[in-house]
Amino acid sequence: MMRLVRQFLVFLLIALILPIGAYAQSSDPAALIQSFGGKQSFDDTEAVVKKLAAAGDPQVARALNALSKGDLVYRKSDNQVFIASGRGTVDLFDPLTGTKVGEAASRDFSKVRVKNSIRRAVTDALGSLTLRSPDPNTRMAAAGTLFSTATPEAMKTLDAAIAAETVPAIKTKLEEARAAAVLKSDEPAAAKVEAVKTLAGKGDRETLAMIRGVAATSKDAQLKQAATTAAVSIENTIATWTILQNVWYGLSLGSVLLLAAIGLAITFGVMGVINMAHGEMVMLGAYTTFVVQELIRTHAPGLFEVSLAIALPLAFLVSGAVGLVMERCLIRFLYGRPLETLLATFGVSLILQQAVRTIFGPSNREVGNPDFMSGAFDIGLMSVTWNRLWIIVFALVVFVALLALLNKTALGLQMRAVTQNRKMAAAMGIRTPWVDAMTFALGSGIAGIAGVALSQIDNVSPNLGQGYIIDSFMVVVFGGVGNLWGTLVGAMSLGVVNKFLEPYAGAVLGKIVVLVLIILFIQKRPRGLFAQKGRFVDA
Amino acid sequence: MRSAMTWMQRTALAATIAAFGVSGAVAADTKPKGEPIKVGILHSLSGTMAISETTLKDAMLMLIDEQNKKGGLLGRPLEPVVVDPASNWPLFAEKARELISQDKVAAVFGCWTSVSRKSVLPVFKELDSILFYPVQYEGEESERNVFYTGAAPNQQAIPAVDYLMNEGVKRWVLEGTDYVYPRTTNKILEAYLKSKGVAAEDIKVNYTPFGFSDWQTEVSAIKDFGSAGKKTAVVSTVNGDANVPFYKELANQGVSAEDIPVVAFSVGEEELAGIDTSPLVGHLAAWNYFESIDTPQNDDFIAKWHKFIGNDKRVTNDPMEAHYIGFNMWVKAVEKAGTTDPDKVIDAMIGVSVPNLTGGYSTMMPNHHITKPVFIGEIQDDGQFQVVWQTPGLVPGDAWSDYLPESKPLISDWRKPMSCGNFNTATGKCGGAGAEKAAAN
Amino acid sequence: MIIARFLGPRVWILVGLILAAAVLVPLANLALPPGHPLHMPSYLVPLFGKYVTYALLALALDLVWGYVGILSLGHGAFFALGGYAMGMYLMRQIGSRGVYGNPILPDFMVFLNWKALPWYWSGFDAFWFAALMVMLVPGLLAFVFGFFAFRSRVTGVYLSIITQAMTYALLLAFFRNDMGFGGNNGLTDFKDILGFPIQAAATRAGLFSASCIALAIGVLLVGWITRSKLGKLMIAVRDAESRTRFIGWRPEDVKLFAFTVSAVMAGIAGALYVPQVGIINPSEFAPVNSIEVVVWAAVGGRGTLIGPILGALLVNYGKTVFTAIAPDSWLFVLGGLFVFVTLVLPRGIVGTIDHGWDAWRARRRSAAKEKGESGDGDGSILPHPAE
Repeated sequence: MMRLVRQFLVFLLIALILPIGAYAQSSDPAALIQSFGGKQSFDDTEAVVKKLAAAGDPQVARALNALSKGDLVYRKSDNQVFIASGRGTVDLFDPLTGTKVGEAASRDFSKVRVKNSIRRAVTDALGSLTLRSPDPNTRMAAAGTLFSTATPEAMKTLDAAIAAETVPAIKTKLEEARAAAVLKSDEPAAAKVEAVKTLAGKGDRETLAMIRGVAATSKDAQLKQAATTAAVSIENTIATWTILQNVWYGLSLGSVLLLAAIGLAITFGVMGVINMAHGEMVMLGAYTTFVVQELIRTHAPGLFEVSLAIALPLAFLVSGAVGLVMERCLIRFLYGRPLETLLATFGVSLILQQAVRTIFGPSNREVGNPDFMSGAFDIGLMSVTWNRLWIIVFALVVFVALLALLNKTALGLQMRAVTQNRKMAAAMGIRTPWVDAMTFALGSGIAGIAGVALSQIDNVSPNLGQGYIIDSFMVVVFGGVGNLWGTLVGAMSLGVVNKFLEPYAGAVLGKIVVLVLIILFIQKRPRGLFAQKGRFVDA
Repeated sequence: MRSAMTWMQRTALAATIAAFGVSGAVAADTKPKGEPIKVGILHSLSGTMAISETTLKDAMLMLIDEQNKKGGLLGRPLEPVVVDPASNWPLFAEKARELISQDKVAAVFGCWTSVSRKSVLPVFKELDSILFYPVQYEGEESERNVFYTGAAPNQQAIPAVDYLMNEGVKRWVLEGTDYVYPRTTNKILEAYLKSKGVAAEDIKVNYTPFGFSDWQTEVSAIKDFGSAGKKTAVVSTVNGDANVPFYKELANQGVSAEDIPVVAFSVGEEELAGIDTSPLVGHLAAWNYFESIDTPQNDDFIAKWHKFIGNDKRVTNDPMEAHYIGFNMWVKAVEKAGTTDPDKVIDAMIGVSVPNLTGGYSTMMPNHHITKPVFIGEIQDDGQFQVVWQTPGLVPGDAWSDYLPESKPLISDWRKPMSCGNFNTATGKCGGAGAEKAAAN
Repeated sequence: MIIARFLGPRVWILVGLILAAAVLVPLANLALPPGHPLHMPSYLVPLFGKYVTYALLALALDLVWGYVGILSLGHGAFFALGGYAMGMYLMRQIGSRGVYGNPILPDFMVFLNWKALPWYWSGFDAFWFAALMVMLVPGLLAFVFGFFAFRSRVTGVYLSIITQAMTYALLLAFFRNDMGFGGNNGLTDFKDILGFPIQAAATRAGLFSASCIALAIGVLLVGWITRSKLGKLMIAVRDAESRTRFIGWRPEDVKLFAFTVSAVMAGIAGALYVPQVGIINPSEFAPVNSIEVVVWAAVGGRGTLIGPILGALLVNYGKTVFTAIAPDSWLFVLGGLFVFVTLVLPRGIVGTIDHGWDAWRARRRSAAKEKGESGDGDGSILPHPAE
C-alpha cells in the first residue's frame, strides 16, 4: 500500500517537472540533438556538444558517438538530424533511441561536420556520461578518459562510481582517476599524499608528469617527500620497461629482417646465386596480396578477414613460379659463376620493377590490415601492436617450417646433397637440374610469403623490394652464408642492436653504426657468425 | 697487325651499335609537323620518385591536350616532350640540357625534390630557359629562370602551426626526413614558435632517413613526449615513401588525432591512396588545394582528369593544381608577349593572374612565387580531406623567410630596374650580404 | 721504347683514339661554326665528358675485378669521395657570389645557421690541396679498408657485401645535414674552376680533354701494371689465391695495392665528373650506382682494357637515348641488355670477340703448323676473365 502511494507521488512529481523540461529547450536531449542540424560553424557544433554533456543524460551517448564517427547527418530540406549508415542508399536511425526510421538517398543529406576539437569534446563528454554504462569496456574507456580530464568537481561522481563498481580493474582505474582529481583540488595534504601513493602504482609517463608537478609546487614537506619518492620509483619502472620495449622493438625489426632475408638465405646462401631480384620477389608477394584483397573487396567482402590466409599460398605460387622461370631460363646457365648471376638478376630486377609499374601504376597501392592485425594492447608500460606480434610469430613459423623442410624431407635432403657435392649427388641418381629449379623456386616463393607480411607494415609500391635488398644481403652474410640458423640469429641481433642504438644515436646514425659493426665483425669472422666448415668452403 | 685487325673489328662493332642508337634518337625528334611549340616535361618516371612524379607527367599531358583542343597557342599546336630523369639528380641536369638545347623546348615543367631543382638550376640559368616548379619547398631561393608554383614555407607551414596554436597546442614534435626541406622548414618553425613564446623544452626535433620503414621507436617517443600533460601536436615533414609505415604505426599504437594530431606538409590525396585511412581520421594536412574543395572549376578539372587517365579512382592533388596554375600562367604570358622567347615571357609572367581550382585567382608575384589560399584539412575515412580552416585571403609566397636571420633582410623583385633575386635591404645591394661581410671578417 | 713494345700495339691504338677524341671533340665544338655538319653541339661536350669519367671509373673497377678477382660493390664510394673533394674546392671558389653573399660559408651552411666553416673544409680553397685530397681520401679509405679486409682474408661475396655496406654507410652519413656536406642536396651551383667560368664552352672543352687525358693515363697505367710481373701475380691471385699463397707470395699485398690504386683512379674520375655535371650529392654513394659500374665492366668485358671503357660508354649512351625516346619502357631495354649479355656474351662484348678471334687464330695456327709455317709468337696479350 505504502509502495503504491510512493510510486504515485513519484509519478506525480515527474509529470509536473517534465513540461518544465520541455520548455527549457536547452536541456532536452532530443531537441539539443536536433540543433546539430543545418549549416553551422564548428564552434556552434562544439557548443551543442558541451550543452549535451552538461545535461548529463546517458541517452545522448549514441548521438555523440555517431557525431564523432561522422555518421550524424541532417536532411537538407528540413535540417532534421538522423544517424545514417551505408553508402548510396542509407539507413536512417533516430539519433536518440536508435530505432530505424527509414531509408533514403544519401545525396539528400549532409554530414554534421566535425573536427578534432569536437571529437575531443565528445570523448570528454562520454567519459562522464558513460561512467555507469552496463558495458564494462565502455566503463573502462570512460575511466581512462577521466584520468586526464577529471576536475576536482568530478570527485563526487567518481566516488559514486567507485562504490558501485564491481570489476576490480575498472575500480583501480577509477581510483586513479579520483587520485588525479584530488591532486588538482584543494584537498588537505594528507589526502594528496594518499593520492600520490595510489598513483605511484600506475607509474606511466603521464602520471610522472603529474607527480613531478606536485613535487615541484607543493609547500607541504611530507607531500613533497612522498611525491619525490613516487617520482623516483616511477622513473625506475619506466627505465625497466624502456629496456624491455627496446628488446621488443628489436625483435620485431629482426623478424622483418628475417622474413626479408630468409628467401635469400636459400637462393644466395644455399645456391650461391647473388640474387639481386630477391627484393622484387618480395614485392610480387605484396602485390599478390593487393590483388587478392581487391578481388575480395569487389566479389566477396565477407572474406576480408581471411584475405591474408588466401594471399599466402598464392604469393608463394606467384613468386615461386617467377623464380622457376628465372632459374630455367637464366640461372641454370650461370651455376658456378656467382658474380655473373649478379648481373643477370640485376637486369631481371629492373624488368620486374618496370613491369609492375606498367601494370599497377607507379603509386602506392592500398593493402588493408584485417582486424586481427590492427591495434595494440598494453603489457605494463609497453604497447604491443598486433601486427608486429603476428609478424614475429609468422617469421618464426616460416623459419621452423623451412628448417623442417630442409632437414626432414626428401626434397630437403636432395637440396643439401646437391649444394654440398653436385657431382656426387648426380652420381647417386638425384636429378640435380630439377632440384636446382625447386630450390630456387622455394627461395623465391618464401620471398613472396614475406611480401604478404611486409605489405602489412610498408608501402606496396614498385620500390618495395629495393628497400630490403641491401639489408637482406647484410643479414645473410652476417649470419654466415649457407646457414639458416645464422640468418635467424643475424636478423634478430641486428634488429635488437639497431633498436638499442636508435633512441641514443637517432635512426640515421644508428644504422650507420650497425653497418660499421658488420664490416668490423666480418674482419673478425670472415665467414659470418655461423661459418660453414669443411674443405669445399674455399673451393 | 693481327691485333690491329681485332681492334678494327671492335670499333666496327662499336660504331654499328652507336650508329643504331643515333639513328633511333634522330628518328624520334624529327616528326614533321607544322611548327609546334614544344613543352618539356621533366618528371621521374622510374626510380624512387616515380611514385609521385608520374602523376604530374600525366597531368601535364592532359593540360597540353586541353590547350590543343582550344586551338593551341599563338595558333600553333603544343607538343609535349617527355623524358625520364629516373630519380637520378645528375641525370636531371643532363635531361634539362637535352630538352633545352636539342629539343628546343619553350618551357619546362618539372622536378619534385629540392635536389633535382638545384641540379637543373645552373642549366636553366646558362641556357636561359624557363622552369615551372610545382612542389612545396623550403624557400630561400628566387631565380630569374624559375617560377615557383608550389608553396613557400609561409604558405603552408606557418599557417598550419597558427591553426594548431589556436586549437590549444602547447608542445611540438617536429618530425622530418633528414634533408633540406624539413631541415629548413623546421628551422623556420622553431624560430617562429619561439617568437610566439614556446619554450625550448616544449619543442622536440627528430630526423629519420629516406624511405624509413620501422617507426616503432619514433612513434613511442612521440607518445612519451605527448604525455607531459600539455596538448601536443606533431608537425611532419616526413617525405613520401616513409609516410605509409609512419601512419600505419601511428594507427596501430593508437595515437589518435584527438590526443596528438599530426599535421603533414607532404601527405596529400595521392599518398593516402596507399593507406586505409579510417584509423587516421582527424590527422591534418596543410595545402593550397584539396580534391574535396567544392568549386565548379575543380569539378571540371577532376572530371577531365578522370576521363584523360581513364580511371575514376585516380585522385588529384596540390602539385597537380600548381601545374594547372603554372601552365595557364605560361600560356597567358606567351599570349601577352606574342612569342615564346624566354626573356620576353619571363618579363610578361609577372602580374599574370589566372583562376586557381579553389575558386579564386592566383597571381605571379615579382619574386616569381604566386599568391595562394592556404587550407588545413582533416583526413577522412574515404582518403579525402575535409577543410577545417582556411586563410581569409590569398597568401603571397615569400621567397626569403623572415624567421631566419640571414635571409630576413633579403627581398626579391625581378621587375626592372631591380631585377634581383636576393636584394639586401640592409645594405641596399643585390647579392645577399656580400661585400660588407667580407670587410667585417 | 721498351715500355711501348711491352704494352703492345692495341693499348697504343686505344690511347691514341682517346687522345684523338681529346683533341677532336673540343675542335669540333669550338672551331667549327654551328651550321657545319661536323659541328659538335655544346650540350654534347659535358655529356661525353661524363661518359669518359664513367669509363675511367669502370676501368678502375676492372683493375680489381677483372685482374685480381675482387668484386667491389663499393667503387661508387671512391668515385663520390673524389667528387666531393672537388665539389668542396668548387664551393669555395663561389666566394661571395652565393645567394646570401657570404664570402666564407656555402649557402646551405648559411641557411642552416652554421657560424663557421667546419675544420675539414679548411684548405679546400686551394686547388692543389683539393687535388691532393681527390686522390688521398679515396686512396686512404681503400688502403685502410683493404688492409683489414684482405689481412683477415675476407674474400668472395663476403668482401663484395662489406664493400656494399661501406658505400651504404657513407650514403647515409652524407645524407645527414649535420655532416656539413650539404645533405641530400649535396654541393652545386658551381661558378669557377681554376679561375675559368665553369659554364663557358671553352672550360667544358678543357674538362673534356682533361677527362680523356686522365682516361688515357689510366689505360697506360692499368696496361703497364697488368703486364708487369705484378700483373702476372694479380692474375695468379685471381685464379688460385691459395696456391699463390702456398708458393710464398702474399696475396693480401697484391690485393691491397690494386685496390688502393683503383680507388685513387675512381677518385680522379669522380673529381672530373663533378664540374661537368655540376652537382655532387649523396646519391652517388647509392649501392645501385656501384652495381651499375660492375654491369658496365661486365657488358664490355672484364679483364680487358677496352672492355670496361666500351661498356661504360655503351650503356650510358643507351641510357641517354632510351630515357628520351622510350621514357616509359627504357628499363625493359636496359634490363634486357644485362640479361642478354650474361647469357649470350658471358665474357662481355670485347671478351667474346677476343675469344672468338683467338679460337680462330689457334685453328689457323695449327693448320699453319701442319703446313710447316710458324705463327706470330705474340699470342693473346689480354688474359681472359676467370670463369
